[in-house]
Amino acid sequence: MASLSTTSLSFKASSIKSTRISQVLRKPSSFQSISFGRFQSSKSLRLQISCAAKPETVQKVSDIVKEQLALSADTALTAESKFSALGADSLDTVEIVMALEEKFNISVEEADAQNITTIQEAADLIEDLVQKKPAA
Amino acid sequence: MRISVMSQMQRSFSIDLPSLIPLQLPSHEVKSTSLLKRYSQLLSPIEKDGVDQMRGDELKKNALLARTLVRTTISRYQTNKEVDPRSLMFKKNVYGKPEVDWQNCNNQPLHFNISHTDSLIACGVTVHVPVGIDVEDKERKIKHDVLAFAKRFYSADEVNVLATILDPEVQRKEFIKLWTLKEAYVKALGKGFSAAPFNTFTIQSMPGTEGAYNLCKTSEVTADPPEETKKCNGGWKFALFDLADSHYAAVCTEDDQANEGAPTKIIVRKTIPFVEDQLISERIFL
Repeated sequence: MASLSTTSLSFKASSIKSTRISQVLRKPSSFQSISFGRFQSSKSLRLQISCAAKPETVQKVSDIVKEQLALSADTALTAESKFSALGADSLDTVEIVMALEEKFNISVEEADAQNITTIQEAADLIEDLVQKKPAA
Repeated sequence: MRISVMSQMQRSFSIDLPSLIPLQLPSHEVKSTSLLKRYSQLLSPIEKDGVDQMRGDELKKNALLARTLVRTTISRYQTNKEVDPRSLMFKKNVYGKPEVDWQNCNNQPLHFNISHTDSLIACGVTVHVPVGIDVEDKERKIKHDVLAFAKRFYSADEVNVLATILDPEVQRKEFIKLWTLKEAYVKALGKGFSAAPFNTFTIQSMPGTEGAYNLCKTSEVTADPPEETKKCNGGWKFALFDLADSHYAAVCTEDDQANEGAPTKIIVRKTIPFVEDQLISERIFL
């Protein structure tokens, strides 16, 4: 068990920069948290490891969503913004997925495509797929 | 089956109907604040939250009108007594499809489904059989190349049909019609999109009919080499027609086993709840 947790910790730790940890702490709804006793250097710090996407990815997704839904440039979108709340119907969602596939050079399974409901979910899925691609 | 259509862009006029209370009519859209307030009084707290979650006034109004249309439409089709639209309760099936919660009945006497676009909301109601409805603006522009989109999401047979259409405008319109039909089927099925990915079924028009379509399901038969078989039996009925000259509407209903293959009668009404109600068409679809 100890070796397992070390392995998983080192995997995730390598992809986390300090800025992401602070970002992650602000968005409790979007990650799974794991805390490890040995890393509690201060009583209030819990090392929270997330699968949340990078801010740049979230931004790129937001831009594509704004374009597809013809939202004004100053519409404030957050990672939690729901496509349906922005007026997207299923055809819009599919077009957004196609645009994301082109932008990030990935291929999204149809079942995954239809399950994306927020900008965060889209960004997370993109990063997951990009990571799984064979190295160029 | 009946479809109530509510158009936001309608020029309204008054009709005297004994069951409706005459109100000041909006001239261009449904924008009378007192009418909208009356509508919001019909909604449950959860529905009101849903409306509030929409970003922007137009989207909020659209969401309010959609719930209003559902409640008022269903409550009209009760046989024994006046049903207060406010009293209807809703739930979702295990896949998330909204349904009426009839509380005491085990089988659903009435089924409904709703679809909305910027300017038009449609609610379809059927007796005893599941229904799916989808409406799209005829002029809706697709941002991607239509054939590329179809190759990505539609079935191979549907791509072939679209590929033979040379005029890009006609091709785009056919694409949209197919979209509404496929959406209507998935919504009627009520099991979510993953239960029926768009590229696993083909909807084709029935030759010699206008607006009647067939569903063909492609499945792989485990053989060596693996083959694809196509089954085009009944089970589901489709109808495609125009609404208000501006939209395509597709309706899909489960074929009632007792009346398998019997024609479907579709009655379309244009309505502004509490204000007006107009019969648009009655058509039989084979």
